[in-house]
Order: sequence, then C-alpha cells, then structure tokens
Amino acid sequence: MGYAIKTENLVKRYKDKTAVAGLTLEVKEGELIALLGVNGAGKTTTVKMLTCLTKPTEGRAEIMGCDVVKDSANVKRLVGVSPQDTSVAENLTVKENLEFMADLYLSKDKARSSVERTIKAFGLEEFSGKKAKLLSGGYKRKLSIAMAIIGEPKVLFLDEPTLGLDVLARRQLWREIEALKENMTIVLTTHYMEEAQALADRIVIMTEGNVKAIGTLEELENMTGRKGLEDVFVSIAERME
Amino acid sequence: MKRTMVFAKRNLIEVYRDPLSWIFCIAFPIVMLIIMSIVNSAIPKEAGNTLFRIDNLAGGIAIFGQMFIMLFTAIAVAKDRNGAFLTRLYSSPMKSGDFVWGYILPMLLTAVIQVCVSLAAAIVVSIVVGYSLNIAGLALAVAAVIPSALMFSAIGFLFGALFNEKAAPGICSIIISLGAMVGGIWFDVEGVGGFMYKLGRCLPFLYATKLARSAISMDFGVSEFLVPLGVVVFSAIALTILASIVFNSRMRADQR
Repeated sequence: MGYAIKTENLVKRYKDKTAVAGLTLEVKEGELIALLGVNGAGKTTTVKMLTCLTKPTEGRAEIMGCDVVKDSANVKRLVGVSPQDTSVAENLTVKENLEFMADLYLSKDKARSSVERTIKAFGLEEFSGKKAKLLSGGYKRKLSIAMAIIGEPKVLFLDEPTLGLDVLARRQLWREIEALKENMTIVLTTHYMEEAQALADRIVIMTEGNVKAIGTLEELENMTGRKGLEDVFVSIAERME
Repeated sequence: MKRTMVFAKRNLIEVYRDPLSWIFCIAFPIVMLIIMSIVNSAIPKEAGNTLFRIDNLAGGIAIFGQMFIMLFTAIAVAKDRNGAFLTRLYSSPMKSGDFVWGYILPMLLTAVIQVCVSLAAAIVVSIVVGYSLNIAGLALAVAAVIPSALMFSAIGFLFGALFNEKAAPGICSIIISLGAMVGGIWFDVEGVGGFMYKLGRCLPFLYATKLARSAISMDFGVSEFLVPLGVVVFSAIALTILASIVFNSRMRADQR
C-alpha cells in the first residue's frame, strides 16, 4: 500500500509568525490520522496547505503523488474538505447542497446515485427537503461532512468536525467517521483527546507549529510512560516547554 | 463551463429564496413606476415636463431596478466570503472563471426578468393613462439594457469582493442614490447642468438611462443611442475585468 500524503519539511510563515515549522509526515492509504493540538498549534494551517488553500512557504507536500503547488488542479480532484466552520449553502435544502457538490465533481448520472447513497448513509432521509439553515448544529456538521465525501475523494480532511457539538451528536458523528475509514484516507484535526483516541490509527501531536510526536496511542504511551492520551499529551507538551 | 452553471444554479436558488430580492428587484421598481405615473398625472401639461411620461419613466425604472441587482450581487458575494462556504469551494476543482460567471450569470437572468416585468407593468400603465408605447421599442429595450445589467452586476461583484457583509450593502446604497441622481432617472440632470451634469457625464449611469430611453423610443441617433451604448458596453467589460481581478486577489488573501 502506498502513501496518500507525504510532506517534507513543510513550513508556513506569516510575516513574523511561523504557523507550521517543518512538518515531515507520511500517511498510508486508508489510514486515519489525527492532528492533535491546542488552538494555534498549526493544525488548520497544515490542512490548508494540503488542500491547496494556501501555499507553503518552504518544503513540499504530495497527495496521492501529486504536488500541492505544481499539480494543484489534480490535488483538488483528489481531496474533500469539511472546514472548521459549518460550510453549507443555507438557503438550499440538504439534497440540493449534496447535488451541488456532487455536480462539481462527478458526471450527472454518477452524481444522482451518489446523492441518494450519501443521504441514506448519513441518515439524512428525513431532512433531505429541509433547508440547511433550519438544521440543528449536529445535522449541519453531518451535512458538511457528507458534502465533503460526495465527490468520492481519496483523501478526506475533517477540520475540528465535532467542535461545539453535544456528546450525543459527537458520538453519532464518530460512528459516521468510523464508517468512512474503510474507503478513504482521513486527516482529522481536533483538540479533543478522546476523539483522537477513539478514531485515529496514528496521532500527530502539534504545539506552536511543531510536530512533537507521532505514533499510535500505544507507541506514545511507551514513549512517555503515561497511560491515556490526555496524560501523554500533557507530558509531551510540558516536556517541550 | 459545467461547474460555472452548477454554481450559477446554486446562486440563483439562493437569490430567489430570499424574499427581499423579490421585494427590491421586482416589486419596488413597479411601485415606483406607478407612483411616478401618478405624480406625472398631477403635473400640468404647461410645465412641459416629460421625464415621468411613461415612455421615459419605463427606461429610467429599468435602470433603477438594475441598481438593486448590484446590491444583491454584493450581498451574495460578501456573505459567501464571510462564511466558510467559499473555503470549501476554493479547495474544489472550481476555477476563478467559474466563480466570476457563477455569480454574474444568475444576476443577468434576474435583470432580464426584472426588466421584462417592469416593461410589462409600463404597458399596463400606458393603457391606463392613454399613452401609446412602442412595443418594438420595448422589446429592443430588453436587449439594450443587458450591458448595463452586466455593469451593475460587476459593480456589485466588485463591492462584494472588497467589503464585508455589513459594509457592502451600505456602499451599494450610496451608489444607488448617486446613480439615481446623476443618472437622470428622477430629474433632468442635463437641464440642471453645472456640477451635477459634469459628474453625470463622468459616470456610466446617465448613459445607461439614455440608452434604455432611446431604445424604447427607437431613437438611434449617435449621441442618444450609439455613444451611450459604447460607454455602457465599455464600462461593463472594464468593470467585469476589474471585479474578476479583485475577486481573485481577495480569494488568495482570504486563505492566507
């Protein structure tokens, strides 16, 4: 199995601030990787660079072998993004939102069948004719993720997908993300320890734009001699201060 | 092209599901047409004021209505930029041309519908007041105001790209007031002369009104039709290019 994502010394600098300082990372196809860190750790900037939303200052990154700078048109066909803020067309219905995204990526016939399949998979049948602005926060997030996967991406980026959701909505969304793991590579950014612990194959701990540790939970526990991701995270973050 | 049409369809639905766009783009111009016709009936013939006569009024109202198209284009673009919806689309295979025409095309269609409705209302008013309108002229006016529709959509697109959701409608309101004044819609700016007329000649609004009125009266004179047509077409193209450049640069800046 090849690598879905490869980055080499990826740097993003804004005037006097370094948002990401030399990220080197390899993510295998079919893997779910969690970028874990507090606010301002550089998680969202990393996602932005990997999805061609912003250009790296230094270094290089590839998605399924395509360079994010030189071959951005192809990268955009390979990735799906669910941004941090719920990004749906408010006056369109759930079905229209999905049709809109499907039509951007797929042929007409494929788009129609993909819409029906996605509505079913995400349990949105009851709301398909409802305007997006009338949905609850949890269902808006669901729709946002459904819109990100409807183009059949190879790599899916979920930026803080459960931010602000209640515990039930969060758990329900975890189940949807778990189900997606079989079909695509997923990069999840979060600052919820339990979310990374529950979903990720490997965890990348970031602070102040730097990668402090990468590994499975077990590897990170062995590395720090602590149990549970929260203690591991605190141990790593404090050691680096 | 496919993605442009997909995005245009989304924007069309968003506009048509907003009741304010129906009120301002369709209902308000018709209400103004009726009110000004009533005002015209109260003006003594001896005054020699033909500005609010239905043939002149119809052309002015067509352009006045398009100014609200500018307002709604600005709101649509600024609103999308403020939210995260465009972030999703920036990382999709859409290209900058898809964004530009995806915003402008639905507004052009709305403008054509708007002018058809306004001119149909003008026909009804003309029957009521007993003034004979040239139907061929009205049909020509529908085509003649397409360049000004593009111009106003482009101005709206430009303001939507430059300003946020709160500032853009305010700036557009200023342009609507300015355009209505120096565009000769509500008073004879040429007759007033002075600074107002000079300003009017420097801006494209007066030419847009002149073009619409000349089309309705089938007056194809150089100064009445050809010059205004040239100015409006040039302004529409120049402003569309400028708005596209500004939007692309803001698109990059938004993502930094």
